[in-house]
Amino acid sequence: MIDPFTLLGLPQKLELEDTEIDRLVREASQQHHPDAGGDPELFQKIRLAGELLRSPARRIRAAIEYEGLPFDERGEIPTEVMDCFSPVATTLQNIDDFVKERSTAVSGLGKAVLDARVPELKTDLENVIGKLGELESTMISGFTVFDERGWGQSGAEMGGVARGLVFVTKWRAQLREANGKLFEALLGG
Amino acid sequence: MSEVIIGIDLGTTQSAVAVVDSGFPILLADEQGNSLTPSAVWYSKDGEVKVGYEALRRAGVEKVHTSVKSLIGRRASESGGQLESDGRIKTAAGLKSPEEVSAEVLRELKKVADHRLETDVTKAVVTVPAYFHDGQRAATKKAGELAGLEVVRILSEPTAAALSYGLDRLDESSRVAVFDLGGGTFDVSVLEMREGVFEVSATSGDTDLGGDDFDHAVARFAAKQLGRDLSELDPMELVQWIAEGRRVKHLLSDADEATFRIPFSGEAVVTREAFLGLMKQFLDRMESCCRRAMLDAEVTGADLAAVVMVGGSSRIPLVKERVAEVFGQEPDLSQHPDEAIARGAAIQAGILAGTVREVLLLDVTPLSLGIETMGGLMNVLISRNTTIPCKAGEMFTNAVDGQKSMKVRVLQGERELAKDNWELGSFEVQFSPDRRGQARVGVEFRIDADGILSVLARDVSTGKDTVIEIGSAAVDVQEAKVEQMVSESVEFAFEDMNARVFEEARLKAEELLPAVGVALEQAGDFLKEEEVAEIQIAKERVEKAIEDREVADLKDSVEQLDEVTESLAAMLVQKATEALFSSPQD
Repeated sequence: MIDPFTLLGLPQKLELEDTEIDRLVREASQQHHPDAGGDPELFQKIRLAGELLRSPARRIRAAIEYEGLPFDERGEIPTEVMDCFSPVATTLQNIDDFVKERSTAVSGLGKAVLDARVPELKTDLENVIGKLGELESTMISGFTVFDERGWGQSGAEMGGVARGLVFVTKWRAQLREANGKLFEALLGG
Repeated sequence: MSEVIIGIDLGTTQSAVAVVDSGFPILLADEQGNSLTPSAVWYSKDGEVKVGYEALRRAGVEKVHTSVKSLIGRRASESGGQLESDGRIKTAAGLKSPEEVSAEVLRELKKVADHRLETDVTKAVVTVPAYFHDGQRAATKKAGELAGLEVVRILSEPTAAALSYGLDRLDESSRVAVFDLGGGTFDVSVLEMREGVFEVSATSGDTDLGGDDFDHAVARFAAKQLGRDLSELDPMELVQWIAEGRRVKHLLSDADEATFRIPFSGEAVVTREAFLGLMKQFLDRMESCCRRAMLDAEVTGADLAAVVMVGGSSRIPLVKERVAEVFGQEPDLSQHPDEAIARGAAIQAGILAGTVREVLLLDVTPLSLGIETMGGLMNVLISRNTTIPCKAGEMFTNAVDGQKSMKVRVLQGERELAKDNWELGSFEVQFSPDRRGQARVGVEFRIDADGILSVLARDVSTGKDTVIEIGSAAVDVQEAKVEQMVSESVEFAFEDMNARVFEEARLKAEELLPAVGVALEQAGDFLKEEEVAEIQIAKERVEKAIEDREVADLKDSVEQLDEVTESLAAMLVQKATEALFSSPQD
């Protein structure tokens, strides 16, 4: 299978602008969408490649694969990522508990009293999301070094960053989902 | 000349047909000059059919089928008694499936198009709510076929509206939201328009939320004022009451109050404030969907160049106000609320026919697709908001030696537990005889550009592909059975009805009593002294009823306590909601 960088006509670099990826995906989609007479299989591949490269976590995995570097999915995870585990898990658990309690409450006032916890939950949520955002930016800013030094010479470090980013990405998605659950608990739907 | 493809908006209350003429979408009007056709169908005993205004004229006197869209692709158990157990509708001309009834509306629209375009139109793009699931989309496609139309694309309504909005803004690059509130369904989508490519980022909605609900709510409210109950009315009366509810709803768009009037039954005044109270739960649900769509698209109101409102119910001032509040900007009302979707459908038809070249649409699947795993959980294979067409694969293997087959249940929805999601149906994966873990079958799930699923199985050892039929007929029976089992188990647990009532009221009291203390503390000086006293008295009554084990008294007093704390609860919820949305989320 053709690698996503080549498929979209992007340079083999980790440091890529989202807008550049978007532009190339859009142009390729325009050309290969079935409605424009394109091949559905190729269209699907283009979309997947775009999705993959837009995610820093998956982009660095793609680079490791492209270079044929060894990669251990269960290898060591950067400590600054592990340090986030506990606040993330606590926040998610607290929101989950709240949503469960809120959904089983039977009286208007019972629900309202539970809602008093919302401001605190929201602050926690924003803090953790902010922290993960900073962490992700720091890790991504290291991409330049890998590009300059060459991927072949950066295998071990790239592996660590790749594993760390997988967690950060997953947690951010879970926190976003928790945010959604929070307002759905209040508004219904 | 290239072939003609028409665009059809098959709406809950009204429908329209449009076509692209020299680059612009235009609506086609019937011989009387109406470009909107009520989605109403009347049947006579001997099978005569009337559609649209001609059918509506008989409403209140004879049975006229309206809002059939809310039944299409649904199971009897989801229809609130409107569908017979075989999934069909009782009509004067016998049992008809919702597809057959909808086909009558589509046939009428085809007739209008045939007449205006002076040709036999055979192909159409038909719109559906973005939030329609696989079954509802497939059923809509079938309705088209029954009407003699090949449905070349099922298109989401908000996306269609976006095409209509964006056609004369092709040189702009922007993100927009489309808010589409129709007679029976609600959708909200966030799209990015750039260089003629319309890409949907996220979509959300509710297929059971629309203007019909508001009419019902007004009628129910008025009935209560008049000491009546909607459920006691006969079907013809009900039609009349709901129509009156609709009339009052329309009046309240301009007036501060309106009078609900039913001859020989009486009059009830509905104030705008009362209407707001009735609308609150619907507005909250809409807000929830809007916030969900923004969260999924990773945008805030400030990122959006416009919030385009379409659908008949977007005319309601209360709805416009809430939209402005949620998105932090005045909505864009440039699109005709009843016509934009049909125009958009015509544009997509033009894209497919090759007459509109500068535009391309990338839509998404609104619901996650998955299968049920061992523990009754949903395993997502294609997540919601994935661009369609798309596909995903899953490998299945035999769990024991010589296992012949395995049942796979296919689901759509966002809930963790399989049973909370909508079940498309199930299929059997056939294994070749082999030792445990050796027989392997790869299954591919494809969602096409219509948002409709097809499943393909490939036996890894033989390399043979088979198209899998998904059976869904058995589901209903099972659902009914489960419901019965659940209700039975509850019945058995509380043989004594009195004990059950007491237990339910006691549970509610146990929640309310401590909540009263906490809430009063948080309330500060929000409540007047006499209000606090009223709450205290109600509280003491509940406590006494528990002590005395007085069933009727407890039920009564708990209800009273619930009522007198209503404004207190609303205030606290308001405070929490404001805190939650006080600053933009990332």
